[in-house]
Parts: sequence; C-alpha cells; structure tokens
Amino acid sequence: MIPRTVPDIPTLLAANVKVPQHVVYRSFPTETVVLNLQTGKYHGLNATAGQMLDALTRADCVRNAAAELAGGYGQPQDVIETDLCNLCASLLERGLIETDGSPKP
Amino acid sequence: MAVPSPEPQRVSAPLVRAAESVRVDRLTHGERARLAVEILASYLQAQRALRRAPIESVIARLRSRSPAAAPVAPGSLEEARRLGRAVSRLLRYVPGDTRCLARSLVLTRLLARRGIEAKLVIGARTTPDFLAHAWVEHAGDPVLDPGDGSFGRLVEL
Repeated sequence: MIPRTVPDIPTLLAANVKVPQHVVYRSFPTETVVLNLQTGKYHGLNATAGQMLDALTRADCVRNAAAELAGGYGQPQDVIETDLCNLCASLLERGLIETDGSPKP
Repeated sequence: MAVPSPEPQRVSAPLVRAAESVRVDRLTHGERARLAVEILASYLQAQRALRRAPIESVIARLRSRSPAAAPVAPGSLEEARRLGRAVSRLLRYVPGDTRCLARSLVLTRLLARRGIEAKLVIGARTTPDFLAHAWVEHAGDPVLDPGDGSFGRLVEL
C-alpha cells in the first residue's frame, strides 16, 4: 500500500480536492456513506462532514470551500478551515480523497 | 346480442405465462449438474479473486473471455432470473461466505458467459442500522433479490 502523507495546512488550504474514481459516496438523511472500491470498506460521515465533502468537491480549493461553509454556518472562516483541514487529513489517510500532487494508488 | 365474456382471456393469459415459466425452469439432470458445477466453479473463482484484488478488477476478470453482451434479447430477462434463482438455491448449501456479494459475482460470471448484459449494483442503507447489499440487474430489472427497497444505490459495476 502506498503511504499517504498529509500536506501541511497552508498547502492543504490551497489544494484542490477530488474524490478518486475508486471511491463512491451517497448522502442519506442522517449520514453520508462512502465506499472505497479498492479496499471494500464502507465509511460513514455525519451530516456536517457530508456537507463538507460536498463543498470540497465543488470548490476549486479547500480555502474556498471553507469560505462557502463559513457563510452557511455563520462561523469564523479560520474555525471552519481548521475543521476542514482535519476532515481532509482523515479522508486522505483513508484514501477517500486526493489533493493536487497526491500519490496515485 | 350477447356481450362476449372477457373471462376466458383473463384466465388464459396467466396460464400461458405459467406454462412458459415451467418450461424454462425444466432442465435435464445433465443440464442441472453442468449448471451446478459452473456455479460452484464461478464461486471459487470469485472468492479467490476477491482475496487478491479490488472488486472492479474481480468483475472485469469474471467477465473476461466472455462473448460481448448482446442487446436485450427476448427471453433474456427470464433466463437471467432463472440463473439467479439457481445461484441463490445452490449457494445456500455451500459453506463459506455465500452472501449477496458472492451470489452477485457468481451470477455476473454466468450471465457474461451467455452474453447477457448485467450490472452488479451495490447499495446501502443507514437506518435503522447500517447495512450494505449487492444484487444484479438485467436491463434495469433485478434478477437477484434487491432487498426491501430501503437500499440506496451506491454504484453500478
């Protein structure tokens, strides 16, 4: 397995996030289910994390996704950026997202 | 003037369908044995492949060296359902993991060998508990049990 390294926060905030082809996800009323077809593992995201994943895939970088979410949640952008970077790190470690320059599995 | 009774038509149509269904299901002992061997061999192949490769590669391998899937042909849905019933019935008595994904992979192999188009669908539900399910569809019709309708489609392979 290719070790996945998480970029530092400034790099991550400027990065574009993509869901790789081998990952599929669907939002349900209470959570978002993510299936990694390469590992066969299912992952559950709570409603907030599911909205964050949607925003990440829409925006051209993590910082812009944070700005969009900060407006929606009425929270300071730096707070949302921290949460979003933590989520990205978790998803990257599990191979559920890729950022610019991520090693291809 | 007497009004023609619609009764004979209402009765005869289901009988004709039932007769066709019985005829399709009727196989000789030799044909049944060959089908059973094919199902078991496909099951072993699928289980071995799943231990080594991701599911997309497994499905590609199970479909390889098969004739190209033909457009939907008359009788292909009934044939796909018949094979689905055979797979479910036989694998029920086979030790090991013969749950929905194994059944779906085996049926995918059988249909591919016959040039019958099929999609393996993986779905999930989150309430009351998380549960994932796999089944096979031919031309949009399920040919293995798709569950109780509570599963949202995640992917078609």
